[in-house]
Amino acid sequence: AACARSGQRVLHVDSKNYYGGNWASFSFSGLLSWIKENQQKTDIDECEDWKKLILETEEVISLSRKDKTIQHVEDFCFGDQDSAEDVEEAGALPKLPVFGAPGAEGVAQESEKECPPVESALPEAESREPDKATGTEPATATEGHDAEITSENESSPSTALDKPTLELGKTEAAPSEISAQEPKKITYSQIVREGRRFNIDLVSKLLYSRGLLIDLLIKSNVSRYAEFKNATRILAFREGKVEQVPCSRADVFNSRQLTMVEKRMLMKFLTFCLDYEQHPAEYQDYKNSTFAQFLRTRKLTPSLQHFILHSIAMVSETDCSTLEGLQATKKFLQCLGRYGNTPFLFPLYGQGEIPQCFCRMCAVFGGIYCLRHSVQCLVVDKESGRCKAIVDHFGQRISANYFIVEDSYLSESVCTKVCYRQISRAVLITDQSLLNTDSEQQVSILTVPPVDPGKPAVCVIELCSSTMTCMKDTYLVHLTCPSTKTAREDLEPVVQKLFNLNPEKEAENEELEKPRVLWAVYFNMRDSSGVEKSSYDGLPSNVYVCSGPDSALGNDCAVKQAETIFQEMFPAEEFCPAPPNPEDIIYDEDEIVPEESGFSNSPETKPESATEESSSGDSAAVKKDDNEE
Amino acid sequence: HFDHNISPTIGASFMTKTVPCGNELHKFLIWDTAGQERFHSLAPMYYRGSAAAVIVYDITKQDSFHTLKKWVKELKEHGPENIVMAIAGNKCDLSDIREVPVKDAKEYAESIGAIVVETSAKNAVNIEELFQGISRQIPPLDPHENSNNGAIKLGKQTSQTGRRCC
Repeated sequence: AACARSGQRVLHVDSKNYYGGNWASFSFSGLLSWIKENQQKTDIDECEDWKKLILETEEVISLSRKDKTIQHVEDFCFGDQDSAEDVEEAGALPKLPVFGAPGAEGVAQESEKECPPVESALPEAESREPDKATGTEPATATEGHDAEITSENESSPSTALDKPTLELGKTEAAPSEISAQEPKKITYSQIVREGRRFNIDLVSKLLYSRGLLIDLLIKSNVSRYAEFKNATRILAFREGKVEQVPCSRADVFNSRQLTMVEKRMLMKFLTFCLDYEQHPAEYQDYKNSTFAQFLRTRKLTPSLQHFILHSIAMVSETDCSTLEGLQATKKFLQCLGRYGNTPFLFPLYGQGEIPQCFCRMCAVFGGIYCLRHSVQCLVVDKESGRCKAIVDHFGQRISANYFIVEDSYLSESVCTKVCYRQISRAVLITDQSLLNTDSEQQVSILTVPPVDPGKPAVCVIELCSSTMTCMKDTYLVHLTCPSTKTAREDLEPVVQKLFNLNPEKEAENEELEKPRVLWAVYFNMRDSSGVEKSSYDGLPSNVYVCSGPDSALGNDCAVKQAETIFQEMFPAEEFCPAPPNPEDIIYDEDEIVPEESGFSNSPETKPESATEESSSGDSAAVKKDDNEE
Repeated sequence: HFDHNISPTIGASFMTKTVPCGNELHKFLIWDTAGQERFHSLAPMYYRGSAAAVIVYDITKQDSFHTLKKWVKELKEHGPENIVMAIAGNKCDLSDIREVPVKDAKEYAESIGAIVVETSAKNAVNIEELFQGISRQIPPLDPHENSNNGAIKLGKQTSQTGRRCC
């Protein structure tokens, strides 16, 4: 987007059928399709036709056609016990004439995936036209879909729990009777039916209200495309209980869980943290110890130490130094009050809106977007060592001066020296909040400290339906931590501590108070954020790599990366300046033309030309999947 | 007003238009799709909270009418449930080279419950009528829904008050 804003001609090609790559968010049915896609690890047949387009003076760097950044995807449905009733309804289903949208939605996405990559997108879409929502087809497709997911899980330990999926999945189109009986108890079929109300993020992040992303959104005026909600609560998990953490001055004074003495201790410490640099004597002696050790010397009660360490600074007990801890605490405190009582904002409709907002800015400034369009290879000129063009899946050659490639597109041969970290993720749909209060509509963040010291803490973000990410009477819970094992091994212990996974035992004492998990998915996502460009093998200097999401809570890493890449390409240009008043541009041709043509180079000959593509022949930057630029 | 020399709306992201409807004034926030629809790559953000969609085809091109049906389907599947749809057959000033009969469009619009009108952007025919038609169909504001649920807009500009459409 920054490139388009600076007058570059930008073509964005993406092999996915959605925006944002691993930053995307999905409706429930969309997520099911995504799960299915990532569980099937089939390789795409390579078509070699395009090789004839490469001249003798050129070399080829093949790109990976299959995204390998997601691993160990396991999904579970914790069904209700209405199965007897459901079986009956399931049998009647194919005869029903009209179906709700979710079924049809699933079909649309599936047919898109089934489309062979060599086929042109336009005829494909048209051929879909005749079977426009004719009833039975959507239902059967979705049915088969659910059944497949279930069978894939059969080897996993929770087979018993999966069984209901099969039966419940079939009833999705006719659940009105169930919902009438118990309005508050959400069934899997209701989740499927209301699937459109979900916007489930693949990454779970919050925006620090004074973080780089907020600054960039405001500066570039991209913020006008999005709306945000304040995270309303900071929670802590201590001695098996979830409690609210008071962090602002008002919170501390209003808190009923703290004694007067504690209030004074906490305020005194937080005030100190805000300008800790001014009082070096206070922490000088602890520079070489951990933040946790430092806290112990500060006359704070254990509960206050816990709050500060895990919920405010959100740092590790064992390996965070005093200075890092003070810095993190200060950052948290500085972000308080800008947009409400906590330091965090969350975008309505999910984090996945943010890349779309930047894509919109890019498009507004002339960027061209092609989804479902993959790239075979980069073409490198042997003499200059620079990348000249790409060849896409139609065998079309598209020339450009600069290329930005997301890490996931690079093939193994380029990445032999690269060592990736992984992020463990879980997404749960639950029936009540982790901490019920007078308001149901809370956005909460909870850091669960590791059981074994040295392991990473787990960040839990609970979203309510007013964030437009889940249906009414449900909560969407995201768990994230840097991986040590598979996502399920890393996160399931925490899920078991916080939630009730066993609907059969629901009448029993304390389990009753815990939210029930209705549906869950675990997966590992590649974290390519720390990889230096030099560790990729043989990439030309005008090919820039942008990473996937990192595991941190904020978005600073992605913003910094985007700005760095932009500055390398165009050192003289400002990164995402505020846009001019629209009226000034639309009606003033003279202003656009020089800007646009300034950097364009002469298009190379293209052996095959689809009419739409020809305009992108001289695009100055080819971008794939990059989030913030 | 239509100007042949205007390049597509580069740099514009939304326009506003106020339409009187009964005792109310409806302020339309019109989101330009900025060409993202060209390769069927429209981002879902355009659908968020939109009250109405105007889908335009060219009465002199049968193909464009097919594409329109594709968009209707897309909107029904991914758009808000109660979205008001309007179909505009543009270039009605060129009806002598028409490929899409008025009857086809009317029948189709009826089958999907959409407003249908033939327009000429060039001669400003029926544009006002189109927006008035949409205005009449937009359900009265639900005070609960419109209170924004405490959503925060960032930045300096004043917050949006109208309903948006794409």
